[in-house]
Amino acid sequence: MHRGKGMKFVGDSRIPATGRKPNIPKDYSEYPGKTEAFWPNFLLKEWMVGAVFLVGYLCLTVAHPSPLERIADPTDTAYIPLPDWYFLFLYQLLKYTYASGPYNIIGALVIPGLAFGALLLAPFIDRGPERRPAKRPFAVGFMLLALSGIVYLTWQSAAHHDWEASKKQGAIIEGAEFDKESEGYQLLDANGCISCHGAELTGGAAAPSLVDTGLTPEEIANIAVKGRGGMPAGMFKGSDEELEKLAEFVSSLTAK
Amino acid sequence: MLTKIYDWVDERLDITPLWRDIADHEVPEHVNPAHHFSAFVYCFGGLTFFITVIQILSGMFLTMYYVPDIKNAWESVYYLQNEVAFGQIVRGMHHWGASLVIVMMFLHTLRVFFQGAYKKPRELNWIVGVLIFFIMLALGLTGYLLPWDMKALFATKVTLTIVDSVPLIGPAMKTLIAGDATIVGAQTLTRFFAIHVFFLPAALFALLAAHFLMIRKQGISGPL
Amino acid sequence: MSKRNVSRRQFLNYTLTGVGGFMAAGMLMPMVRFAVDPVLAGGSESDFVATKQKIKDLSTEPTRVDFSFTQVDGWYESEVTNTAWVYKTKDGKIVALSPICKHLGCTVDWGGDKEHPEQFFCPCHYGRYTKDGMNVKGTPPISPLDVFTTKEKDGILYLGQRKPHGEA
Repeated sequence: MHRGKGMKFVGDSRIPATGRKPNIPKDYSEYPGKTEAFWPNFLLKEWMVGAVFLVGYLCLTVAHPSPLERIADPTDTAYIPLPDWYFLFLYQLLKYTYASGPYNIIGALVIPGLAFGALLLAPFIDRGPERRPAKRPFAVGFMLLALSGIVYLTWQSAAHHDWEASKKQGAIIEGAEFDKESEGYQLLDANGCISCHGAELTGGAAAPSLVDTGLTPEEIANIAVKGRGGMPAGMFKGSDEELEKLAEFVSSLTAK
Repeated sequence: MLTKIYDWVDERLDITPLWRDIADHEVPEHVNPAHHFSAFVYCFGGLTFFITVIQILSGMFLTMYYVPDIKNAWESVYYLQNEVAFGQIVRGMHHWGASLVIVMMFLHTLRVFFQGAYKKPRELNWIVGVLIFFIMLALGLTGYLLPWDMKALFATKVTLTIVDSVPLIGPAMKTLIAGDATIVGAQTLTRFFAIHVFFLPAALFALLAAHFLMIRKQGISGPL
Repeated sequence: MSKRNVSRRQFLNYTLTGVGGFMAAGMLMPMVRFAVDPVLAGGSESDFVATKQKIKDLSTEPTRVDFSFTQVDGWYESEVTNTAWVYKTKDGKIVALSPICKHLGCTVDWGGDKEHPEQFFCPCHYGRYTKDGMNVKGTPPISPLDVFTTKEKDGILYLGQRKPHGEA
């Protein structure tokens, strides 16, 4: 606080009434060498980069709508999950023998913990005064090792993932409107159909949708008993009368 | 007119010293891409901040339509993306921005690392930066669940199982994050929403403020 | 330390810290207790749930048995269908295994891997379990599949709580 004889303030505040600093930028001659003022000289360059970036970014959002899979259905037990791409390397790590099973702790905690811990404490591990990469081989070496590890694991994970199946298992499917209290649905529930075909009967990773099958009741009854494709025979365990009701119900399902 | 408003405020609050300090500080030649093209590596930090600003704004606007409820979350996301004008762009900005911010921050981290710019006296700023990195990853993780679609639910189940496998405190931590010992459901979604929208951004703001204050105080590291 | 060493300034500093601590504790304690409630709330014992599976239809080959029950998730109640793999051992004991992989919580399938048709298989990280639910050494899972307690009533299979292997 400036306090002294003869000082004047704005009202009863602490802001001096006289000797205010004029709002005049420093003259360009005051910048030594090739340095320049932050505002507006340097910021303009930054913002030009930002503007170009923004255009690309907006084009991306227009060209690629954000993905949205179908609504979460905990009953679909065949879904194979995948984390966001920047966690893939951690996910892949857990597939290896020495990072899983009895060594799960190593893969899930010790390796990531060491890596991120070292990153956090890098200034205290790499303490020499040298800044040039060539003069600090260990720090740079470990970082390059970690980087190639991350790239390799991410690539491995992406290469081994069945993207086709992944796309199919999450696709939004037109549902049908039906009464869950109806006898047909109750029979589907009773025979375990919904565990593969889903509670909304729109299918999942393990089974196709039951909506819009275009099949006759007879054909559906036949599949329910004898199976088809990945569906084993003998899934239906009820009476013939129930089979008929179930088949007619499924046959009548059409998208809204 | 603007000058008059500025003068009016300055007379009462004496803001000129603060403003001139920010505006007139010298930017050295070696970070200026106009002098050395290779100086573009210094842009990554600024771009990270730019995307962060976009993330904050688009996130604020997304909550105008979004509800964190397992019955309506997916429906609301579907609606805002497909029915609301520019919904695809606003959600797209938030969705792709989440990936881009990780990319930019990663590049920024590598720039600082390979230049050894974290060395004395900038150790603290490096630590704050790595903490920001962790917060961003946590934001990505919690945001992934919010649309409540298939990949969100099942990826979160995997995350929670990993948390569960931590010795001793794992199960308690999992319950704390998920809101229920066994179910990943209504309480998990509201928790992740609260963490994603209030807790983590609050921490992020504090760390960003510290990051920038330290840069202003210490200045940018010199050329190699 | 004699009293005289505490200066007026120090005393005020201590008091300030104390009052600050009290305010922080008073503010945060209800909130923290509020947040950790799910951790401290004990799990409720679930009852036996009837399945549609007739005991006499069970064989020594694991069959997929679905069963529904009302799940209470906070304020949200829903009808949930869970799955178990059930079979009879040679001496007639009924074994009901949970299909949730002990590695990362994906779902295992009986004979899901063509090279190991007589094992449970998890497609996420290729975890395998033998028929009795024991994890195969060298695959990611670290413990055997959970087991449901079972009960027979009127020839129908009832499934109870899911428990770690060896406790049911």
